[in-house]
Amino acid sequence: MSNTGFQQKLQKVAGKISSNRYLKAVSDGLMSVVAVLIIGAFSTLLSEMAIEPYQNFITNIGIKGLLEIPAQYTTEMVALYAVFFIAFKLAGSFEKEGSSAGLIALMSFLVLTPTTMLEEDPVLPFQFLGAQGLFVAIIVGLVSARLYVLIVNKGLTIKMPAGVPPTVSKTFIGLVPAIIIVIFFTIISFLFTFTPFGNMHEFVYSFIQAPMQNLGGGFWSLIAFTLVVHGLWLLGIHGMLVVLPIYLSIWMPLGVENLDALAAGEELPNIVNTGFAHVFMMLGGSGATLGLAIIMAFLARSKRYKTLGKIALPGSFFGINEPLLFGLPIVLNPYLAVPFVVAPLVSVTIPYFLMSTGIIARTAGAHLPLGTPTFFNAVVQGGVVLLIVQIIMIIVTGLIYYPFFRVLDKQALEQEKSAE
Amino acid sequence: MKNILLVCAAGMSTSMLVDKMKKAAEAKDEEIKIEASSGGDIKSHIEEADVLLLGPQVSYLQEDYTKQYGGDNGIPVEVIDSLDYGTMNGEKVLNWALDLISNA
Repeated sequence: MSNTGFQQKLQKVAGKISSNRYLKAVSDGLMSVVAVLIIGAFSTLLSEMAIEPYQNFITNIGIKGLLEIPAQYTTEMVALYAVFFIAFKLAGSFEKEGSSAGLIALMSFLVLTPTTMLEEDPVLPFQFLGAQGLFVAIIVGLVSARLYVLIVNKGLTIKMPAGVPPTVSKTFIGLVPAIIIVIFFTIISFLFTFTPFGNMHEFVYSFIQAPMQNLGGGFWSLIAFTLVVHGLWLLGIHGMLVVLPIYLSIWMPLGVENLDALAAGEELPNIVNTGFAHVFMMLGGSGATLGLAIIMAFLARSKRYKTLGKIALPGSFFGINEPLLFGLPIVLNPYLAVPFVVAPLVSVTIPYFLMSTGIIARTAGAHLPLGTPTFFNAVVQGGVVLLIVQIIMIIVTGLIYYPFFRVLDKQALEQEKSAE
Repeated sequence: MKNILLVCAAGMSTSMLVDKMKKAAEAKDEEIKIEASSGGDIKSHIEEADVLLLGPQVSYLQEDYTKQYGGDNGIPVEVIDSLDYGTMNGEKVLNWALDLISNA
């Protein structure tokens, strides 16, 4: 594969996608709430860990209820955090005050969220504040922040006379946009009461989010996703970065749904989620290269690959494998294209079917940050059983790479010998 | 003082290279500051930078960044050689970066 016109064109498209400010605001905004999700995930995992003596222990000393509290206010309200940060990031990309935009987005989101009556008091149900509200959070975050930028750019703000401290005038800059935007979403909210859905959440969830999650959470989407990420990498493009907006906006809510189900003691609904991808698709980084890194570090006979394997191995346990991608190299290297695509396909397919047939439990769905070590991530998502499956996948993917690597190793060894 | 800024996707693998470059820089006489950044927070680092280096996985950003930060009045914006990047050859990348600065 040479640096063809096709590749350059693809590079440009990839660059456009990954630097598109709306997609980037969605990814960056969702990335900002990862801390919230992690606290929620550990709260759920610690309170629901299915080990009987442990459960008896935490119930007896009365801390089970306590352990459940953080999840309630994090995972189950994640849309509230997300809407703020998506708007914050989008306004920031236009070099406008992010916190005003975030605040306005949060108000707009709440205006659209239905309340119910509990006896005589209005209550705000959690239903649309968590995973089910994430698409509305994305839409409202983007639309309200864009409107905010538009209004500020038009100069429709209250200008304070000179001499007023900048912090004071900053507060007032957001006021006019806030009034206009919140009125706008109030009207939208009102209009939805005339539809059979009753509110925007119900509409977006049943017409956009649920169908997209159904599609995106299926087996063939998993395969297509794996193919796209790795196909792009082979052409030298950071595949994961390009598909990140889809990855986060579709697969992250699927994981949140699993955590919610776990907290409620229900069956886990989704096989595919970001936790699953982390444990199996990104096993040592793109290309599921951990097995390859181990082979290189311990079994390579050429100096060149042994050294590289030792450079690559520590990072590989944390999912960072650029030394292999560029140093081996895998990128633009036809010899390794086949295992680079086949290995991750196999390492997602086998666990998928183990889960769909009920042989092993589905992943808990915790969204762990980039750099979370292998083994640990498997234990978090599914205990010892998942850890064993992950280790088997490291061996299987290693075996897929092995014959291809042997050829390269042999060539390098001969070169080294003749150079001596 | 010379200031080198590196950018990759999440700033993770680049920080590995930065460590190696810092070690190589200790052997030099001059004071050199080397930093890794992800694409997102480039704005907070770019002011001080004398050269902007991109990881090969984000080479497609070069055009964009050259427009913003490079050009006649800007700083050099270059993509790191992928083999040097992969083998984490800090010394070679450092020398190359210093050459870019002195030729700018």
